[in-house]
Amino acid sequence: MAEQAQGAGTVPLSAVVADAANGVVLALTGGGDPYALSRLLGQGDAMASAAIRVLGADALAPYALDHRAVPGGEDDEAVVREALAAYPPGPDASAVSVWTYRGLVEASHAFLPGGADRFPQAPQAASAWVTDDPWPKLSHRVSQLAALALPGVAQDLADRLAVRTDDLARGFVRAVRRRDWLQAAGLGRWLARLPDVPQTLGLDTGLAFVRRMSDGDPRVALHVVAARQFYGRGG
Amino acid sequence: MSGGRAAPASLLDHLVGGALGWLDTVRDDFRLPPDVTTDADPDHTLKPLGELAELTYLISTSHPRHDLRRAADDLFAFAWDETRDGELFAELVRGEPHATYPVEIYGVFAQAGLRAPAVDRLLAATTAPRGWRVAREDHTRTLGVLNAERRIGLAPHADFTAVLEHTNLGTMSEPWALDRKGAYGLTHDVFHLTDWGRAPGRLPPAYADYLRLWLPAWLENWLDEQLWDLAAELLAVTACVPAAPYDAAAWQRLAAAQEPDGRVPDLGAGSSSGDHAATFTSCYHSTLATAFAGTLTRIALDATGAGQRAQVHESEVAP
Repeated sequence: MAEQAQGAGTVPLSAVVADAANGVVLALTGGGDPYALSRLLGQGDAMASAAIRVLGADALAPYALDHRAVPGGEDDEAVVREALAAYPPGPDASAVSVWTYRGLVEASHAFLPGGADRFPQAPQAASAWVTDDPWPKLSHRVSQLAALALPGVAQDLADRLAVRTDDLARGFVRAVRRRDWLQAAGLGRWLARLPDVPQTLGLDTGLAFVRRMSDGDPRVALHVVAARQFYGRGG
Repeated sequence: MSGGRAAPASLLDHLVGGALGWLDTVRDDFRLPPDVTTDADPDHTLKPLGELAELTYLISTSHPRHDLRRAADDLFAFAWDETRDGELFAELVRGEPHATYPVEIYGVFAQAGLRAPAVDRLLAATTAPRGWRVAREDHTRTLGVLNAERRIGLAPHADFTAVLEHTNLGTMSEPWALDRKGAYGLTHDVFHLTDWGRAPGRLPPAYADYLRLWLPAWLENWLDEQLWDLAAELLAVTACVPAAPYDAAAWQRLAAAQEPDGRVPDLGAGSSSGDHAATFTSCYHSTLATAFAGTLTRIALDATGAGQRAQVHESEVAP
């Protein structure tokens, strides 16, 4: 899907995503100009559409802040619609792909002014894996859905994951031991949203540890900052 | 432990039997060299023999199967013979009166009722000075010394609970912060606290909850790394935790690492150099740990089946 998309330019998609993630982090921490997605990732740019698809709901995360100064505008709507049109999940799409698409659709409904009728309907996403996956596999999947750990998005998923908090916490441990900082940060962000995280996990120190150990990876920073700004975890 | 017991018991007994069989074939490699009390490196002489004694004694007194108890008892008797009925310890203590390792290893035999009066008289003198109470660098090791003192009947040189508080188990370290060395330390915190699984009731409920929660993550991690000795130790710890489920997948992965001759390599597929001494060095610990873990797990499995917690052979009093 979008992870593989490459434009005609010389800048790889990963760099575009990293730049955009930095912009989201800056906005979430109250730095820089008021956030506007369309200034970060403009219209008519295939690479920008791909980056929005990769970031998913996180492209709109700053609009989920209670104290946001400027809501999303018409231009933001246009770039998100473009990304949704360019990368719909196909019939063989993985559950993760459908869920991340769904997350972007839900975030559009929640945070952009046009309302639900200006965007596609959220597709049905398979969810048997939430109860059936063994914890290592579950943890890997959930980390890939980190952008859905956002207020007003994927509440049904959050409710269902709440019974597997211990398993996700084990996944966090495993990810840190493997030095997979992105997976650890994504899981930590979900754990920040879920109730009854085991106290002995040390989620707050763990999130701070993961961010510093990742040596400035913007996508790791985004998850850690989101955990703090939206759910008050991570110190 | 839960689920059907026949298949797990069969797998465990096969593992333990194979491991004891291999240990018997390499018995000569455990023999102490003539310079054991002078120039030989204790890590290559006394450490393997001490481990052999510690774990075969546990198996010989605890395993539900008579044939496996007898095989372990034979190895334990061999280990005692190597100490020349304990005379070795008198020589070791006279050579290094302030060292802890002779006390730790003698404690294994003392617990079995195998004593050497000369050693007892010596230890009464060498462990009495204030200097014996100076804190050791490694708190986990100190727990081992305290356990040995208890076994021998010496006065404890420090407060067990106070020392435990400085270990990974005692602080309940963040589970993601446990590196390899920390994990080995934590398994031994549990072994010393529970007297190698004989007294699981000594594990305070908060520690049991902590272990029950995080053991699956640690096991997955070190099974992935194919660090079989640590995986076996973690499975032994699992068996010390009340109501920990039988981890069938983990046991199958450990069983798959066992060679047809019964040995378990310490890492990956082990060495294929054909060097006998190297094979012994890299396999004796992981093979012993596997036999130990298999025994404790078998006992826990039986105890659950009988609706009660494993009782090995000691009262569950605090150390």
